[in-house]
Amino acid sequence: MDLMLLAPEITLLVTGLAIVLMGLFLSGQSKKILGYIATLGCLVALLFTLNSFGTTAVMFSNSLSIDALSQFFKLVFLTVATLVSIAAIKYTDGNGNTDEFYALTLFATIGMMMVASANDLMVLFVAFELASLATYGLAGFEKKNPASTEAAMKYFIIGSLSAALLLLGIGYVYGTTGTTNIEAIAQNMGLLTSSPMGILSLVLLIAGFGFKIALVPFHMWAPDTYQGAPSVVSALLAAGSKKMGFVAAFKVFITGLIALQADWQMAFAILAVITMTYGNIVALSQTSVKRMLAYSSLAQAGYITMALVVMTPMALTGGILYALSHGFMKAGAFIATAAVVYMATSENKDILKADHLDSFKGLGKRMPITALSLTVFVLALSGIPPTAGFMSKFVLFSSTIESGLVWLAVIAILNSALSLYYYARVVRYMYAMPAEGEKVSEPIPYVVALLVAVAGVLAIGIWPEPFVNMAMEAAKVLIPGGM
Amino acid sequence: MLPILSLIVLIPILFSAVTFLTKTREQARISALVGTLITLVLTLYMYFSFDSTTAAMQFEEMANWIPSLGISYHLGVDGVSMPLILLNAIVIPLLIIYTWDDVRSAPNRFYGLILAMQGAVIGVFVALDFFIFYIFWELTLVPLFFMVNIWGGSNKKHAAIKFFIYTHVASLVMLLGIFGLYFNAWSITGSPNMDMAHLISQFQFFESGGLRDAIFLALLFGFIVKLPVVPFHSWLPDAYSEAPTAGSVLFILLKIGGYGLFRVMLPMLPFTATPSLMITIMGALGAVSILYGAFLALAQKDLKRMIAYSSISHMGYVTLGCAGLVSLSVSGAMFQQFSHGLIMSIMFMSCGVIQTATGTRIINELGGLAQKMPKLTVIMVLGFMASLGLPGLTGFIAEFLVLTFSFINVPTYVIIALLAIVITAAYHLWALQRAMFGTFNEKLGEIVDISSYQTLSMGIIALLVLYFGLNPSPVLDMMITNSEKIVSLMAVMGV
Repeated sequence: MDLMLLAPEITLLVTGLAIVLMGLFLSGQSKKILGYIATLGCLVALLFTLNSFGTTAVMFSNSLSIDALSQFFKLVFLTVATLVSIAAIKYTDGNGNTDEFYALTLFATIGMMMVASANDLMVLFVAFELASLATYGLAGFEKKNPASTEAAMKYFIIGSLSAALLLLGIGYVYGTTGTTNIEAIAQNMGLLTSSPMGILSLVLLIAGFGFKIALVPFHMWAPDTYQGAPSVVSALLAAGSKKMGFVAAFKVFITGLIALQADWQMAFAILAVITMTYGNIVALSQTSVKRMLAYSSLAQAGYITMALVVMTPMALTGGILYALSHGFMKAGAFIATAAVVYMATSENKDILKADHLDSFKGLGKRMPITALSLTVFVLALSGIPPTAGFMSKFVLFSSTIESGLVWLAVIAILNSALSLYYYARVVRYMYAMPAEGEKVSEPIPYVVALLVAVAGVLAIGIWPEPFVNMAMEAAKVLIPGGM
Repeated sequence: MLPILSLIVLIPILFSAVTFLTKTREQARISALVGTLITLVLTLYMYFSFDSTTAAMQFEEMANWIPSLGISYHLGVDGVSMPLILLNAIVIPLLIIYTWDDVRSAPNRFYGLILAMQGAVIGVFVALDFFIFYIFWELTLVPLFFMVNIWGGSNKKHAAIKFFIYTHVASLVMLLGIFGLYFNAWSITGSPNMDMAHLISQFQFFESGGLRDAIFLALLFGFIVKLPVVPFHSWLPDAYSEAPTAGSVLFILLKIGGYGLFRVMLPMLPFTATPSLMITIMGALGAVSILYGAFLALAQKDLKRMIAYSSISHMGYVTLGCAGLVSLSVSGAMFQQFSHGLIMSIMFMSCGVIQTATGTRIINELGGLAQKMPKLTVIMVLGFMASLGLPGLTGFIAEFLVLTFSFINVPTYVIIALLAIVITAAYHLWALQRAMFGTFNEKLGEIVDISSYQTLSMGIIALLVLYFGLNPSPVLDMMITNSEKIVSLMAVMGV
């Protein structure tokens, strides 16, 4: 067992603990340094992960596995965590609880990374909860803002419910197969298919993961939480912790419950269609940009779920690549919104209305970098080339056609076209509407985070080869011998 | 050897970025002009070293891009794309000169978008890999969306969104067709490849005839919405008439829909399961567009909307010429694309001048402008005459070729289209008569003639309309060479 393979997690843990400790001694302005430390920690962890990419190992009696899949998703989580940490330097500036913000962000990220590595349902559950508990706290970070408190409450209650369902599902699986190890479950699949418990556990697991991925009808918490939580936290939730749900679902269903494939595949197909359609239609009428992004996030989750339905190596490559692209696009979009909210509230706009479309009027003049970046993100989210969004949709949708599910691809493509309407509306507000107010200086941390995300979105769009190859490697873990 | 094709795509895009960063109007327009002039020089160099006796690809560039998906960076030009690149390279610098003194908000963005558009459109024309083709195809949407949305008329929001969604959906349907080609070819050859020529060559081996027809129709839909043909035209009048003059001209230069017919549809046509049905579809759509567009143009009160509808009518000739399926009708369709770009530029520019000078585009509110604007009148009359197909001007060559030679294979549709000629003459002359001649409408107040910049740019385009009308061979020869090759495929298949 090589502990070096856990270096990314250990780095984050050490950084997180150091931040907690330093928080005790630092005060006021000097707490600003914590943001830089957290960013550095994420970057180091990112380097460790990149460095060991492709190494395969199992540890702790086969309860954790290090492979291309888990490492790819670790890259996604670390990327999002880095972006969030950079952006939060401005957000937490002057806030007395800076240390808690960064410590929770890092701990949540560790939880997500452990989910990606988990090879055992119990480890997976514990890691899930680690990530969830930390993000509950983050969602309610603005204690005096009623929307933030409400966001945290809803997220916490529904999150706990989903945890209970998940645990019950795991219990049934254990009861039937006598093991919680995902690979061992697959080997005992005969027991699952022959027992009604199999279907019952399937339903519970789909509901449990459905909450995390925010699939309709398990999505009720998502719009309120994404809207109410601080925008940088929404970035972490939508771009990061949602992917945790996906990697867990990929592992559990494709590796563990493949015997029940016929049952869950149809369920996910229906959920995918409902989710993308519902998300897009409701997003059309939103006037709060954060809420619009929340519903669009549902739609995007619907697209990624298609990978689970199609389940060819190429579809999984597409889904995995989509997860990374979405990490950049969605985190970027929420961070841009955070910059706008920051600007609006510093101009004494009501915090509850700061993310209204009106705040985006004439943003092209007032905050040119933020506006241009947000334009790139929303065009990417709607799948316009040459961006990451186009590249991932290209691989994912085309694989759906390849496998013969043309109806599903057509629904997805129509949805994608529909989404263009509300994405383009934001762009219209930013560039075609007159500005209300003067040009403002854009806070450096937000600008840095935005430019990094733009670079990521364009890099995947323009030079996708290395990313596609990495995603292919990751997909091979799920379906060995494919491609 | 210079990678000249990459350069003519990248230089406008690079200069677009530079133009976005400029601070003053002076800097913006100079940067834009320099960028487009470099592109023009390179294009002219390419044109003069172009061999119009061969139908093969020239100036080819090839490099691996995403090998795992079979996508490569493959560019090239032939007689189909060369004239259209030339058209863009010539008209866009003139468009910048035309807007030289035009006072408008955010000149850096305005000129930046024009250059981005130029790069994207030329990108479509030089792409020989479907993936690159699609990327540039979609990229052309973005500058036009902003162009209409920011500098458009009173109904700009509606027009911009309608244009964007309408043509984006069409593009996605086209993308489905591309996927169909890609995966079926993949399963035949065992390796992924996005090369256009490769995919088209594999098309004939697809087993199911229904599938071949479906793929063909999906691609056709993508192209004809962009062209556009009736009944998929409804985005066009709004977008063309709401766009600022420069935007309307850019729309006109966006000849990618018709280009797709020559580059993709015609080579695939003989291998569809029911070629005669496909020809009927194209011929009927073409003829209906010619007639219906002309009727609607006749009914317009707004000069710019009239020009927009006349554009639908003129684009019908492209589809009809394709359906004609003989070398000269296809060449006529190609020449129509080239000629239409020049003529419509004059018409939209004239309309823009009139609107700036008088504050209205309603034909009835104008009148007698020729007395006050003699320079404009000369150029505008030439443009209108070319548009209605007067011999000696480019429009005549194109329509003559299409109508005469399509008659061999699709006589019915040609007869329908012939009816439109009368109407076309009527609305052109009628509009000209009411707007420019007769007694001057005193309500319009003081009117000054077009500026020297505008005279220069519009004058050059007018001279080109005359030149290519009298001597079409500099572009027509290469078109004929290529259409002979395209049509020879049909002969082999007995279509």
